[in-house]
Amino acid sequence: MADGGGWRPPRPCEAYRAEWKLCRSARHFLHHYYVHGERPACEQWRRDLASCREWEERRSAEAQRSLCESERARVQATRKHALVWALRQSPPADWHLPLPQEEKDQ
Amino acid sequence: MAGAAEERGPGPAEGEQRQEQHVACQVFPERLAEGKPGQGFLSSFFNNNRKCQLMLLKTLETSSRMLGRALRSPLGLSTPIQENLCAITNQRVYRPLLEQDPYVKLLLDAMKHSGCAVNKERHFSCEDCNGNVSGGFDASTSQIVLCQNNIRNQSHMNRVVTHELIHAFDHCRAHVNWFTDLRHLACSEVRAANLSGDCSLVNEIFRLHFGLKQHHQTCVRDRAILSILAVRNISKEVAQKAVDEVFESCFNDHEPFGRIPHNKTYARYAHRDFQNRDRYYANI
Repeated sequence: MADGGGWRPPRPCEAYRAEWKLCRSARHFLHHYYVHGERPACEQWRRDLASCREWEERRSAEAQRSLCESERARVQATRKHALVWALRQSPPADWHLPLPQEEKDQ
Repeated sequence: MAGAAEERGPGPAEGEQRQEQHVACQVFPERLAEGKPGQGFLSSFFNNNRKCQLMLLKTLETSSRMLGRALRSPLGLSTPIQENLCAITNQRVYRPLLEQDPYVKLLLDAMKHSGCAVNKERHFSCEDCNGNVSGGFDASTSQIVLCQNNIRNQSHMNRVVTHELIHAFDHCRAHVNWFTDLRHLACSEVRAANLSGDCSLVNEIFRLHFGLKQHHQTCVRDRAILSILAVRNISKEVAQKAVDEVFESCFNDHEPFGRIPHNKTYARYAHRDFQNRDRYYANI
């Protein structure tokens, strides 16, 4: 987490509002049920929106802590499963190379 | 129209029947030799090729750039009329008409960020293909092949490009053993089926596959298996076993979207988050 002096919410408050609104929509309920077979949980977006607004208005340390904790939990959730492959340190060497000569000649 | 534009539409009914059998395959076992269409089909070849090129251009080109070029005066200055036109066409109702596909936009940006900037002439090829495949990613040449004889409409083109760009993205960011490790191939196919819109509720209904609760996962498994079988001479059981082994990990790997993009709204939000990533990781 960045130093309190230069810190700001990880997302603009409008983004939290948009996510909460999307999460609560009937369409999202349908998509979520179609994928996961259960209803979506939207409460955390509402809490994050409230924390974001509280920080914007009062620079609340508790709001900052709550937001950081929430977002770190989201990041952790995405890293729960080990990857099947090893990640590269650099892109493939031949990505930008011209196509093989025989294809170009054809 | 805005509602319809949100979904990755399957296209007209006639095209949909073909789409029922269409799979996007990862690596073509045999690409037809370029420049050797049969004499009797020359006209059809060039017509299909031109259609494919035009649809691909529409998929890849940022429409705001196209609009900007169209509106620019000969002197390079904007006039009040042109500025008003810009203001009008930036309104929400016109966005579906002008917006580059947000799935493709995010994938192209993510690939550029990973050091694999995509060049249309180098990394895409419109070709005739055997069978019912819609496209493929040729890892040996780092090229996406689009089957000009099997892609019939813009919506289908957008989806095929998205699917193949996911393979290209995996190739760019990870050591994927496409040819020697079936699990790696299976993983990329699971991700592509999951994130490209292939398995949207609307597309499955058009395929006459009816199911709701967790049906998305069934579709992803089935389409991943189909894609594997299109490029590997193996039994369905072997393909299924490979998909089962990697499913948990790969179904939950949503890079670069960060979520499953169910429609263009989700893809736009994902792109917004991608553009915001520096701020995000600096403040958690």
